[in-house]
Amino acid sequence: MKFSEEKLSKVQEIVARYPEGKQKSALIPVLHLAQEEWGWLSPETMDYVAELLQLKPVEVYEVATFYSMYHLKPVGKYVFEVCQTGPCMLRGSDEIIAYIKEKLNIGVGETTADGLFTLKTVECLGACGYAPMMQMGKYFKEHLTKERIDQIVEECRQNAAANN
Amino acid sequence: MGRKLLLDKAHIEGIRYYDTYRKNGGYAAVEKAFKMSPADIVEEVKKSGLRGRGGAGFPTGLKWSFLAKPEGVPRYLVCNADESEPGTFKDRYLMEFIPHLLIEGLIISSYALGSHRTYIYIRGEYAWIVDILEQAIAEANQAGWLGKNILNSGFDCQIYVQRGAGAYICGEETALIESLEGKRGNPRIKPPFPAVKGLWDSPTVVNNVETLAAVVPIMNIGAEEYSKIGIGKSTGTKLISACGNLNKPGVYEIDMTISVEEFIFSDEYCGGIANGKRLKACIPGGSSVPILPANLLLKTAKGETRMMNYESLADGGFATGTMMGSGGFIVLDEDQCVVRHTFSLARFYRHESCGQCSPCREGTGWMEKILNNIENGKGKMSDIDLLWDIQRKIEGNTICPLGDAAAWPVAAAIRHFRDEFEWHVTHPDEAQIRNFGLAHYADPIKPAEAIAGI
Ligand SMILES: Cc1cc2nc3c(=O)[nH]c(=O)nc-3n(C[C@H](O)[C@H](O)[C@H](O)COP(=O)(O)O)c2cc1C
Ligand code: SF4
Ligand code: FES
Repeated sequence: MKFSEEKLSKVQEIVARYPEGKQKSALIPVLHLAQEEWGWLSPETMDYVAELLQLKPVEVYEVATFYSMYHLKPVGKYVFEVCQTGPCMLRGSDEIIAYIKEKLNIGVGETTADGLFTLKTVECLGACGYAPMMQMGKYFKEHLTKERIDQIVEECRQNAAANN
Repeated sequence: MGRKLLLDKAHIEGIRYYDTYRKNGGYAAVEKAFKMSPADIVEEVKKSGLRGRGGAGFPTGLKWSFLAKPEGVPRYLVCNADESEPGTFKDRYLMEFIPHLLIEGLIISSYALGSHRTYIYIRGEYAWIVDILEQAIAEANQAGWLGKNILNSGFDCQIYVQRGAGAYICGEETALIESLEGKRGNPRIKPPFPAVKGLWDSPTVVNNVETLAAVVPIMNIGAEEYSKIGIGKSTGTKLISACGNLNKPGVYEIDMTISVEEFIFSDEYCGGIANGKRLKACIPGGSSVPILPANLLLKTAKGETRMMNYESLADGGFATGTMMGSGGFIVLDEDQCVVRHTFSLARFYRHESCGQCSPCREGTGWMEKILNNIENGKGKMSDIDLLWDIQRKIEGNTICPLGDAAAWPVAAAIRHFRDEFEWHVTHPDEAQIRNFGLAHYADPIKPAEAIAGI
């Protein structure tokens, strides 16, 4: 387990943002890099990050378990993180979550058998005026409707097929 | 039309990029600021009356003047872009569309405070905005507004973007600092305050995105003129992110002299309630501030028109008023159930509690559970009093204000909508119906009437 040269130089760049000896501050950004690379944070990944930043493994575990964006178990290729907080609820997030469950035949926290989709519920992502919404990878999908969900699922399936 | 100071150029095509921003008067405030001494800038910000836009409304100039300046110790400015309070999405708009306004404000503020390394701590979910900000910073570096010896002043400064990873609590300034140090976001016990002992134990100022962006117009038009905009201690303009059951949810800049009624119903702002429904209730300052029923929202208990500013929104205290908070304006129409909405917020706070203090950790969990029971027709009358009791025991008994933030929405919901809680208990089979017909609705009014303040 090792980052690519490109990612390693990114790590160097991140560490250089902080004063001498404060490389622990790089932990959260570097865990993001690791998750991008390997999809989730396995214990081995966390140990590798600890070694890279000269931290104790426990310092990495306690951070990885605190923040909700880190996946501590494997997830599907596409993760639908649907916001369920008040303002989104007022605009129908419950119905969207129910629709995704039915369409993909999975519960919250589960992954489809083909390994393509994981459904998660999350709390307010700062898109309340464009509700209902979900995060998918780096971007937000806003103003969700059932039709929009159909379309997104279809696009994901096509992309996955094209990349195989 | 109210005066715009932050979003006045947001509609210009290409304003996200340096060349367009500069051509439209950008970075003039930096040029002006570097002709002044840091102390004079602090004085100017004090005079402007600017209050923190992150939620607490603390006077910014005063906060800056508290920053300790021991010899040989670095000082830090940290920009709070965690924006996680439900209903709030204004900082995102600013960073996404006019990132240079924030960068400009950060350069001036860093100079005023003596921060050579300035960090923008942004919530992890705003991943694509990190790219936008980093590009703007690179452009500013290229053009000589950042780096070494800026404008031959001898002042060096660099700005870095730090991405969080999903935690509302990291918006609290001491939790944010912990997170920036690479740790769990557990708030620190105060004192010491960050102004004395903050990031890496150095004196630190934490300010909201909108607060720091507002420093730019203050420099451009001068504190005196800035302080004349708005009313009383609500000077300048405020960004409001409006959401919920509105015709036109979105981010609006207001000058704090308009009424709540005009903001909701006029076409210049939210355009009224969606689908021709009536206004039932509103949480005007982000999920933590008290919810108000329509009648108390539009008029204070004294019968005065409620205005969109710090003082008017707070008129009546927690008994009949609310707060400006972060400007996250959440509107509920007549089909919404307050119990259900309160349950959803309670779930949010339980999820986001860092778990350090037992009243917050345990209390938020109990509140969520009881609200869930009531909402699903499994509640007892005594549960309503129990809820009241729990929120009372959280408030004021915790390390950080998240405890209060979790308690207030529950308290206000029971205070103003007790009849709905009781309905759930007495009508268990109908508990999940959303339109009870019990609240104090406001009928839709014509936009013209709203503006005339009839
Ligand atoms: C639980 C909690 C969450 C907060 N979240 C934010 C936030 O997302 N953004 C923000 O600017 N301030 C937030 N604050 C307020 C900050 O602690 C701090 O007061 C603010 O950043 C100061 O900036 P200002 O004076 O410019 O408003 C939060 C406070 C608490 C208690
Ligand atoms: S009040 Fe809640 S969030 Fe704040 S420190 Fe205590 S447990 Fe953590
Ligand atoms: S409530 Fe869903 S994005 Fe804010």
